[in-house]
Amino acid sequence: MAPTSIIESLRQQIASCEAQLRDLRSQLAEAEHSQKEQREQDRLRHATGPSSDPLGHDMTYGIHDDFRSEVFAVLSQVEDERPPPRRWPLDRHEYRRYGRQLIMPEIGLQGQLRLKNASVLIVGVGGLGCPAAAYLAGAGVGTLGLVDGDTVEESNLHRQILHSTGRVGMTKVDSARVALNSLNPNVRLVPHSSRLAPETAISTFQQYDLVLDCTDTPASRYLISDTCVLLGKTLVSASALRTDGQLMVLNNPPRPPGDTSGGPCYRCVFPKPPPPESVVSCGDGGILGPVVGVMGVLQALEAIKVLTRATQSPAESLSAPPPDPPSLLIFSAYSNPMFRSIRLRARKPKCAACSAQASVTSEAVSSGSLDYVQFCGATNPVDALSPSERISVENYAKVRLDVNPFTGMEPSKDSHILVDTREKVQYDLCSLEGSVNIPFSIVSGTSAARARWSDNSQTSGEQDWVSELRRHPDKPIFVVCRLGNDSQLTVKKMKELGLDNGGQRWIGDLKGGLRAWRDVIDKDFPEY
Amino acid sequence: MASKKSPSGHFSILYFAAASTFTGKATEHLPAPVKASELFARLEERYAGIKEKVLSSCAVTVNLEYIDVEGDEVADLDRVIEEGDEVAIIPPVSSG
Repeated sequence: MAPTSIIESLRQQIASCEAQLRDLRSQLAEAEHSQKEQREQDRLRHATGPSSDPLGHDMTYGIHDDFRSEVFAVLSQVEDERPPPRRWPLDRHEYRRYGRQLIMPEIGLQGQLRLKNASVLIVGVGGLGCPAAAYLAGAGVGTLGLVDGDTVEESNLHRQILHSTGRVGMTKVDSARVALNSLNPNVRLVPHSSRLAPETAISTFQQYDLVLDCTDTPASRYLISDTCVLLGKTLVSASALRTDGQLMVLNNPPRPPGDTSGGPCYRCVFPKPPPPESVVSCGDGGILGPVVGVMGVLQALEAIKVLTRATQSPAESLSAPPPDPPSLLIFSAYSNPMFRSIRLRARKPKCAACSAQASVTSEAVSSGSLDYVQFCGATNPVDALSPSERISVENYAKVRLDVNPFTGMEPSKDSHILVDTREKVQYDLCSLEGSVNIPFSIVSGTSAARARWSDNSQTSGEQDWVSELRRHPDKPIFVVCRLGNDSQLTVKKMKELGLDNGGQRWIGDLKGGLRAWRDVIDKDFPEY
Repeated sequence: MASKKSPSGHFSILYFAAASTFTGKATEHLPAPVKASELFARLEERYAGIKEKVLSSCAVTVNLEYIDVEGDEVADLDRVIEEGDEVAIIPPVSSG
């Protein structure tokens, strides 16, 4: 195994370095090109300037005073870049680059200058963070901070648009820097290449004007919201799973805790975290690229709205329109209408973070005494079965493939029942020959006591799988799932339902699930 | 999942994300009127386990407006969901 994996890893590293090199070369070419273009234009401007001027000054008496300084300037010009006189508030190339948004009344010159002077922290450079960062860099936000501790994986690429095939294995922060830098080299990119932690949250957030929550766990959502409340930063929070997304602009305006005129925080809207076993990641639940993309793009939009509205002087703040009332935008790709906007309340009078009774303090956050992981409930690996109820994939392979050493019997798929508890759509992707699909959603919805469902069709459907298994009381039942968690809970449920005939029939699961089967037994079995 | 107008004597309820997964539905119509404070109990009768596994962390809205069904705001607790109202059950989505 070892040499193959080393070779594979070296290949990946080489591919990733080559991709970086290609990127750098194209950036260099771009930079050289624009330098050349700029010099050309400078030359033309200086050359044609005086002659195209219809003043008709008689040169026999020397150069007209008005032009003298310009001529001297050209003569004294060194080949190197010299800072152009600050005649206009933006650089020449900035007028060109941002022209299409500059001419909009919502942005204008002041808006563009605000974007240029702004710093935005993007926590999480994945499905949300990639599109959000791309649009903010494109729009000319002066400084973008990027927080992520992960590396790019092939399964990220269908939605995490800053990363590329050649950069699989690179850290997400580095990969995003390559992409963003080639998109807009004028943006200062600040890498924070580790996972956001309570100990570092406050010091990391401090230097930024605005924060985007592009993370993927309940714990990080509460940590980010609390930190933003403590530091007085507005937060643009979005999330997405499967076909659904949510978007909120929180702590807007960002007033101190206890000030009821401030915008609500994440805890005001969702005071209780979801039960840990109900939290599904994109890896387990799935995600459609454009769904999370839409949410990330909307985050960039809200960020631009907040930043360009931001006021710089007290005089301005009096005349500035108040921010939009707080709302929760719900995106549901397969429903009609796709968007719903929910009106939110002001801050909750008893909010733990932003009310006058707040218990969340900077001390508690950074010392770790506020345990976010515990607050959201740790998800321990399922450990529901005893060793005798579990079989390794090696031993199960023998059951399937080998001649029985004691009886000399040929292996037979009929000797046992293999139940696969993945959802049907996954089962249809790939499955072991001879297995029976009983999705875990149906298993977990079956009550050991008499089902209390009002809907009769559902009850009889769920009973079917139980009675089917009862019809072969002698055959041992092996249960398999993707990773070996749902399979354990299914074994427990089957025993509760009495399918083991009081211990006469063996029921157990395959340790490590189909992932272990692929790793150890059948390398061709698809990984998804 | 177009939220069709609910039949007389009913309100419509929309299930998002985990609530939709748990109920197996995106929307349905339930008998009105019902007190907002009793909504979760009603749903628990229909979908055993939903209160603990889903509803406890959800935001609830009536006609696109957030209400606090488990807090202690009297106005919300006394609120009655009437015929024709649109209620939404919105679990926090945390992935991204």
